[in-house]
Amino acid sequence: MANIRVVREGGETRDEIVWQAQELDIHERPNGPAVAAIISAAIGVFVLGLLTTLSEANTDIHDFLDIKNRVGPLSGKTTFSVIVYLVAWVALVPVLWKRTVPFANAMLIAAVLIALGFVGTFPKFFELFAE
Amino acid sequence: MDLTNRETWAALHGIILGGAFLLAFAGGLAGLWSLRPEWVTVQGLQERMNRLRLGVFSMAAVAWLTVITGTWIVYPWYRAAPPEGTEDLTDYPRSLLLSDPDTDQWHKFGMEWKEHVAWVSPILATAVAFIVLYYGKQLIVDKNLRYASITLWVLAFAAAAVAGLLGAFITKSAPIQ
Repeated sequence: MANIRVVREGGETRDEIVWQAQELDIHERPNGPAVAAIISAAIGVFVLGLLTTLSEANTDIHDFLDIKNRVGPLSGKTTFSVIVYLVAWVALVPVLWKRTVPFANAMLIAAVLIALGFVGTFPKFFELFAE
Repeated sequence: MDLTNRETWAALHGIILGGAFLLAFAGGLAGLWSLRPEWVTVQGLQERMNRLRLGVFSMAAVAWLTVITGTWIVYPWYRAAPPEGTEDLTDYPRSLLLSDPDTDQWHKFGMEWKEHVAWVSPILATAVAFIVLYYGKQLIVDKNLRYASITLWVLAFAAAAVAGLLGAFITKSAPIQ
């Protein structure tokens, strides 16, 4: 805690809070569960971009993704992306739960997947593949 | 001063839920950013972690509700095809936008991007929520994890901001009524 000193006009000083040492115990957990959450999210984002582009490139895929007529192919793109995301998370958790893995490598993989996912959802990109 | 059923859902989706996510982003970012050993006391940490846990969990939940209501409730009204021969397209926003070369890019670019990129937000926000809930005060000393969480949080916001901004412009050009 900081030592906060209040100086009033006339030079009178007063300590509001006195410094005192404090201890905090932190039991470190392995980074595996975080990596599982991040990589699975990145996979979900990547699949969203992939399906968005594939839907534009192929009418069969476009029709397949149209699982709810009122919503159109967006229904399939989002539903399947979320399913893949959750399945990936469920699959990665038991593998990584008690492990500590190279974090930089995992983040690099996640960054690439997320970047590709963003690109795949960008109209100027997926329109390049329009059938 | 009446709102139709469709306008009520559109407001819930875009203003209440979407607006709440965008506004609360700053709180989550500040909470994550300031989790530094030199800036927190034990008592302060306890209060801050409870607030951060509740904040990120609520934000992820709000992000999911926003995209689900947007995609499954509001979007079908937006994309509904008008019956053949309909001249007044006011109730068919997508067709209304596409009918005019001055507004068709609001659909072709704006809506096409918005409807997809919005879903990135809850997925990334959920990963951050899990990390904050599971690791808690470890984020103070684990810089890698904290910076990764901040980056994902910012990306989740960026996706929501793109969707929200485009949604506002599209609604201005062709509102759901």
